[in-house]
Amino acid sequence: MKRLNVTLLLGLVGFASWLLLSSVSVVKLTGKALVYNVGLSDLLESLGDTSSRNPVKTVDRKLVSVGEKLIFEGKANYKSNKGKRISTYFVCTDCHNMTQEYPTLTDVDPQVRLDYAVENNIAFLPGSTLHGIYNRQQFYTKDYEKKYGELIKDAQDTLENAIQVCAKYCSSGRFLEDWEEQAILHYFKDKELRLIDLDLTDKEKNRILTISYSGSEEEKMKSISWLKEKYTQAYIATFLETKPKNERNYGKSGNADNGQKIYEKSCLHCHDNARVTYLDLDKDVLSAGLLWKHRKDYTDLSPYQIIRHGTYPITGRKQYMPLYTEEKMSKQQVEDLVAYIKKIAKK
Amino acid sequence: MKLSISIICSFICIFFTKAQEEVKAVTETFSGIKIINSHSTKTLKKREFSYVIEHRFGDIAGSNGGVQTGFGFDNATDIRFGGYFGLSDKWMVGFGRSKGAGNPFRSLVDLNTKYRILQQTEDNTIPVSLALVGTANVTYMKASEDISLVSSFPKFTNRLSYSSQIVITRKFGTRLSTALTPTYVHRNYVRFDDVNGLFALGGAVNLKITKKIGLIAEYFHAFSDAEGRANNKNSLALGMEWITSGHVFHFNFTNARGIGEVQYIPSTTSDWLSGQFRFGFSISRIFKY
Repeated sequence: MKRLNVTLLLGLVGFASWLLLSSVSVVKLTGKALVYNVGLSDLLESLGDTSSRNPVKTVDRKLVSVGEKLIFEGKANYKSNKGKRISTYFVCTDCHNMTQEYPTLTDVDPQVRLDYAVENNIAFLPGSTLHGIYNRQQFYTKDYEKKYGELIKDAQDTLENAIQVCAKYCSSGRFLEDWEEQAILHYFKDKELRLIDLDLTDKEKNRILTISYSGSEEEKMKSISWLKEKYTQAYIATFLETKPKNERNYGKSGNADNGQKIYEKSCLHCHDNARVTYLDLDKDVLSAGLLWKHRKDYTDLSPYQIIRHGTYPITGRKQYMPLYTEEKMSKQQVEDLVAYIKKIAKK
Repeated sequence: MKLSISIICSFICIFFTKAQEEVKAVTETFSGIKIINSHSTKTLKKREFSYVIEHRFGDIAGSNGGVQTGFGFDNATDIRFGGYFGLSDKWMVGFGRSKGAGNPFRSLVDLNTKYRILQQTEDNTIPVSLALVGTANVTYMKASEDISLVSSFPKFTNRLSYSSQIVITRKFGTRLSTALTPTYVHRNYVRFDDVNGLFALGGAVNLKITKKIGLIAEYFHAFSDAEGRANNKNSLALGMEWITSGHVFHFNFTNARGIGEVQYIPSTTSDWLSGQFRFGFSISRIFKY
């Protein structure tokens, strides 16, 4: 009997110790997660960064949910404001993913992006992802000036203006009301990159946090530069000309399997059942035959032309197809796509 | 017992897996919301508006055709302007105004609605597309003083006529599509030797030559042995659909003079074999709203 009591007592002590230790580690972990969850914009601000913008100081949950609705559905109400559709033709997610598009936050390679899209079942789109857009410093970079000229002058370094340009011109819609712009901004702020998202060790994260609290000015400046190397500040856009006829390989040098990934994740995102456009494409001989027939042309139905130039909104047909920059679809990927088109067109 | 439970569990798993999978719909069975004369199972998407112009010329040959009438191009047996609104991706409503073929009346206004209940899927879990179509027509032509004519319209309700259709379509492979269309037409006021309610069965075939061009044949057989319908013919149309960016064009030859179910099903009297067929076309354009 005495032996049983001792055993029970030992068991209880053991269980209590396990419970205590577990609780401590849970508290420790939760605490860590909370600290590491700090938004990069706030962290950079606390480090004294003056080059990054952080227009939203406190996130308003109501505005976040309104912003989410605007982005995914293109229309929302807020307080007494009855929302109108931003664009009759597009919503943000037609051209932009809302999630991470590369395995790391510094990747920019289009093939890495395609493989990641297939692996994570997301689309392979012409626009850059809106994931982490709040932390970017440049928008409508480089060659977008060729397309939009003066329109993007004030939008290249200011997120609010970039949102307005996208709403009015890119989506063939209208300028946003102030509350709509704020709602989208609050949504982006809520979904901004956080310290925990960066590929850093706990030691590195702790060091950054310590510097932000009590580091010297020099340490802070170094930390800002170091931190900004850990994620993409701007997605560069290089526009390419349509490949001349005599330089096109018409699928000979292409990988049809890779092309199939592009067709499924890119073309069919909008063209399947004519979801966004009037052109209904499928993975059949008729759809592929149409594209194959025009492969030598410099028209909208030639893959070589449409990918690099897209189409333009015109009266009576405001939906248009945005172009793919070199960074969003490589030259080789275009050949891969044509190789797949050739394969299903049975040519 | 255990085996039964396993089988039931497997079925449940398969059912839910299927339900969760994105099943791809079969599209472009017929590219337009109309086949030639009849409706297809295609509906507009939500917030789409389609404007349609339909035209039927005069007889190409026969006593009213030939060189003297420019093979029918000098005449227009019917012209219709109409619009359709997509209220959801499955439900649309429309309106139209037709000149009317004049037999037995002209100047028609129609309201119509179409709801797609089934959409054929690539995995054949749903083997056909099915839509219900309802049309109501009113003629506003001036009433004839000759009370022996249908167009004398003693009461306002005599001006009304309706049609109900079940449109069933199936696409076989990538090129061949078929349609079967049981139709009921009700005309409130008819000649004494005609029938108010008329049942007809329609059928159509679409053979896609390319992505943009398809060849179509459409036939409607009306079932009635009423004495006054002895000279009536069934509607047969042969045509071509041509899709461009936003437009769908139809070019056709048909013996039907009138546009719309309440005209071409009960009131076709022209005979193909007598050269009483005509060229017709329709143009539809989709806008977003």
